[in-house]
Amino acid sequence: MNDMRLIDRAVDMKDIKFSARNVQVYYGTTHAIKDVNVDIADKTVTAFIGPSGCGKSTFLRSLNRMNDTIDICRVEGDILLDGEDIYDKRVDPVQLRAKVGMVFQKPNPFPKSIYDNIAYGPRIHGLAKNKTDLDEIVESSLKRAALWNEVKDRLDAPGTGLSGGQQQRLCIARAVATQPEVLLMDEPCSALDPIATAQVEELIDELRSNFSVVIVTHSMQQAARVSQKTAFFHLGNLVEYGETGQIFTNPVDPRTESYISGRIG
Amino acid sequence: MPFLWILIALIIIASVAFVLGRQRAVQSAGGDSRKLHSLPGFYGWNTAIGAMVPSIAILAGWMIAQPIIVNMSIAPMITSVEASDSATLGLVLSNVTNVSEGLDAAIAAGAITDNEVAALNAETDNIKGLLSQVGKVVGSDITPEILDAARASRNMNATGTLFKTIVVLAAAIAGGAFALTKIRPDLWARNQVESFVRYVLITAASIAILTTIGIVLSLIFNTVKFFGMYSATDFFFGLNWLPRFQGESDLGILPLMWGTVYISIIALLVAVPIGLFAAIYLSEYASKGVRAVAKPALEVLAGIPTIVYGLFALLTVGPLLKSAFGDGGVLGVQWMGSADAAMTAGLVMGIMLIPFVSSLSDDIINAVPQAMRDGSYGLGATKSETIKQVVLPAALPGIVGAVLLAASRAIGETMIVVLGAGAAAQLSLNPFDAMTTVTTRIVAQLTGDTDFASATALVAFALGMTLFVVTLGLNILALYIVRKYREQYE
Repeated sequence: MNDMRLIDRAVDMKDIKFSARNVQVYYGTTHAIKDVNVDIADKTVTAFIGPSGCGKSTFLRSLNRMNDTIDICRVEGDILLDGEDIYDKRVDPVQLRAKVGMVFQKPNPFPKSIYDNIAYGPRIHGLAKNKTDLDEIVESSLKRAALWNEVKDRLDAPGTGLSGGQQQRLCIARAVATQPEVLLMDEPCSALDPIATAQVEELIDELRSNFSVVIVTHSMQQAARVSQKTAFFHLGNLVEYGETGQIFTNPVDPRTESYISGRIG
Repeated sequence: MPFLWILIALIIIASVAFVLGRQRAVQSAGGDSRKLHSLPGFYGWNTAIGAMVPSIAILAGWMIAQPIIVNMSIAPMITSVEASDSATLGLVLSNVTNVSEGLDAAIAAGAITDNEVAALNAETDNIKGLLSQVGKVVGSDITPEILDAARASRNMNATGTLFKTIVVLAAAIAGGAFALTKIRPDLWARNQVESFVRYVLITAASIAILTTIGIVLSLIFNTVKFFGMYSATDFFFGLNWLPRFQGESDLGILPLMWGTVYISIIALLVAVPIGLFAAIYLSEYASKGVRAVAKPALEVLAGIPTIVYGLFALLTVGPLLKSAFGDGGVLGVQWMGSADAAMTAGLVMGIMLIPFVSSLSDDIINAVPQAMRDGSYGLGATKSETIKQVVLPAALPGIVGAVLLAASRAIGETMIVVLGAGAAAQLSLNPFDAMTTVTTRIVAQLTGDTDFASATALVAFALGMTLFVVTLGLNILALYIVRKYREQYE
């Protein structure tokens, strides 16, 4: 009996990818994130929802230390990735970001060919031993991003020449090619039309089998469609965190209920 | 009426036209300016333009035509010169103009009256003395013939100026009145004013282009003359540059081109890496404080006149290099004969070009969107990987443009070379030898007493033309490269 429980618990422990404790983020004197505690599970899509300016993107960016590139930003508290503090002095933010990839709100392909865009991460991290390896990574990443059929004949064409939806899928493929453990997505569909959005959402659902995906979104329908867990942020606080179904059908906090039913926002 | 007064009168007429046009527009709409197609001010501007444009066009045309007509009609009065000898006739006519202008000036200064001018006798009176009193120096003797012609020219000019004033002012008033009658609420005054503004802008742009064409034409004229005296093959392929004013010069451009290119390459080898690295540091690594100080400091370098850099080359860099590479120097080599060398000029020119390269590249690197950097950091790239593989490729077209701009400056630079590189035109591979460039030779051939009929002076125009073609080619190449990369990166 006891043994069984221990195994259960071990599985539970392993399932938690990110664990944030008492996280505070400041921009200069502005207190952007207040006291956030959250556990993000592995192989799960976690959605961050909330009104504009509530701090969900800020919190997302502190998960891979992208906030380091902003001078006035300061992070306090503990964020553990697989039990290790990512803000520890011994952690190289560059290595962290290789493990925790990121897709941005606006598609930002590099001014290179489609192939070089995908190969960028594998090259700088030495993931491919030879050209054949690299070709394979590029092909599989593009296939996973459901872009391969559209671009396989023009891998040498500039990535910036693709349409908006294709560019965003290219950016996702680029992030996937680095073989991260977690994929952070900051409103990845806000610049896309409904068809491209549907493709990206389908892709996110597939990615769940390998990665933990954290997605910030303004669309509650999107959160409901793609995520298993949902966190609601409001004014820098994490108001409620739980199963997506529970958050949307039976929220505990009155603020969550108001936001979901459209009364605050 | 003098020119300035005519202009002032025109401006007054235009202002009145503006006010009247505006009023009439409002009136025509029954006092409700919302019924007008355009704002009332546009009707005012339209009327003012109607007054100004035709009158100024007439004024300009008249001022060009009048001297030509006067000269043509007094030319038959000059009987001492054959009409076919246009060069001499031109000289005499310009004397006539001088005398008549001098007489005008003398009358204005009160040294002589109108009646006295009519009574002047070229044989007995000291007209030259009179004119020199009012600051007008006439070179040759004033014959009765010239004095008569000058009197005639004065009379014609006076009549012409009077008619000019009348016609121009009448045109202004008529133009304004005509524009005024056209005012109706449904007149598209704004569109007319805007298209007028567009024509003004087009004129400004064409003046810039036409000037360039004018420069080229003036060069071509003398270049063709030069190639009439000196063989083009010898000029372009001659290996010697030995101009002699008494004749028998060797005027081969190759040693000069070689010096120009050699010194420019040394300069670019100094300026491009240093400038680019400085730009990368300033835009990517430097803190705000450092940047606020370092960037203006670098740009101050760009404001230093090149002659000051020349002094630096002459007094500091040259002797310093000589003490290292020259006879009895620290390195124990004897590469450098004198302090004047291609290396001296090249190094100093490179220093001069650093701010060009760095400032332009810095602006270009800063223009690369932050989203690019974020994308790269988000994949776990380090700062230097991001700069090398994302930022610099994205900024490359601009950086190439900056480098080629610096190259154009290097090729056209004169003072540093005069003071730093010496004057010996030689084809040498040794960067520590004295060399000279196309620009400094142009200066040398045209300063002092020059005879524009000799090949030794005219060669300057051929040199200038060659330089112009080379820099033009460089700029076209720059445009081509920039465009090619732009297709790839945007």
